[in-house]
Amino acid sequence: MLEPFKQIKVGIIPCNGEEICEGTLTRFACRKVLDTLRPNDTVTICLPLFIAGDKGEQNFAKTFPTITVDGCEKRCSAKSTEKLSGKPRHSIVISDLLRKQAIPPPRSRRTLDEKDEAAIDLVAQEIAARVDEILKKG
Amino acid sequence: MQKKVVILPCSGIGKAYGEMGRQAIYELIEDLRAEDVTTTCLGRLMIEDPDTKELVQGNQVITVDGCAKDCARKNVEFAGKAVDGALRVIDIFKDNRDLKPEGILRLGEPGFKLVHILAQKLAEEIDRVRRKEE
Amino acid sequence: MNEEFLEVTYDKFVFRVMKGYLYHPEECWAKEDGGLIKVGVTDYLQKIAGDVAFLELPEAGKEVSRDGGAGTMETIKTSIMLISPVGGIIKEVNGGLDENPQLVNTDPYGEGWLFKVEPGNWEGDKKLLMDAQTYFPRMKDKIKEEMSKK
Repeated sequence: MLEPFKQIKVGIIPCNGEEICEGTLTRFACRKVLDTLRPNDTVTICLPLFIAGDKGEQNFAKTFPTITVDGCEKRCSAKSTEKLSGKPRHSIVISDLLRKQAIPPPRSRRTLDEKDEAAIDLVAQEIAARVDEILKKG
Repeated sequence: MQKKVVILPCSGIGKAYGEMGRQAIYELIEDLRAEDVTTTCLGRLMIEDPDTKELVQGNQVITVDGCAKDCARKNVEFAGKAVDGALRVIDIFKDNRDLKPEGILRLGEPGFKLVHILAQKLAEEIDRVRRKEE
Repeated sequence: MNEEFLEVTYDKFVFRVMKGYLYHPEECWAKEDGGLIKVGVTDYLQKIAGDVAFLELPEAGKEVSRDGGAGTMETIKTSIMLISPVGGIIKEVNGGLDENPQLVNTDPYGEGWLFKVEPGNWEGDKKLLMDAQTYFPRMKDKIKEEMSKK
């Protein structure tokens, strides 16, 4: 059994994009995974801190597997992670995911309504499933 | 037409400060200063998206950081632009001690009261920055 | 290996214990400083507490007792009572923290010091404190417990 300090955790790196509604969705979905769905298996990496050179964030992403969660096809989180620490194990793009499931994106970036809560759940479950996949494979 | 001021928050989801910064910016854009404020994704600047770089280089920029790590300000400077103004959410909290947000993203009533105060401070900062340019 | 610190990494956080300091179980440290005892909080405490927004520290001239209250530290998450690891008279309070209380976060063992005490019985008080090598495993146990609360 691994010591707790050597337990594998998955780094979740959301884009948190402020300009688009899907960015808001990335934040809420990622927090749901971190706080409720997989609290013992995940940690969040703050993208701007990552870029600003925080060694803790960068070293974690070099050592442990990561999942990037981007709001749109610009894939800011996936590209930045690959550039600074290495290719993420999974890259989720919310706009693609919503399109495949025929779910409309949120209408507001400021507040989320009931329909958006369903979208948060969908995205959060997708992230959680990828976390499970990574941890099974080791 | 007057150019817009670009306001960039820090993007953190580890602490409530990040969300308060974002919500204050949305309040400015949608309620208080629709005509002269805009925002963009810090992430797009970080991947050197050409449209985002042009927006930031061509306009005055104010950053809103959650804490003393100053991620937004540092990332804007790293992209080659000196910021025209920089606020920290924690400094607004220091003047409003009783307004503690209820969660990291779901801020609750006290959190949104602090957001409103921050938005007002940002509006003042926009005026200061505009006057500097004139 | 770091010369100055004992370190352990947990997730993305590096927890540091400064060598050569003495540690109190309530997460403060003491260091001899030219006849006075300099006091601060540990890296573990500042990380768990979050960004320091307010500090209320005892004034110079005030008497503090070992294990007694010595002000409060407040973040957006919590408010913590600070403990003095040594009894005596406060001789100096870190004025730099008025403008920038987050020095406690960025440099808890250096510029983030809180106050200096003229000790009443330093030889007696320091026997009750832990050196870095003794405190380090206790800090690791606290971290494990904190993380398992999730």
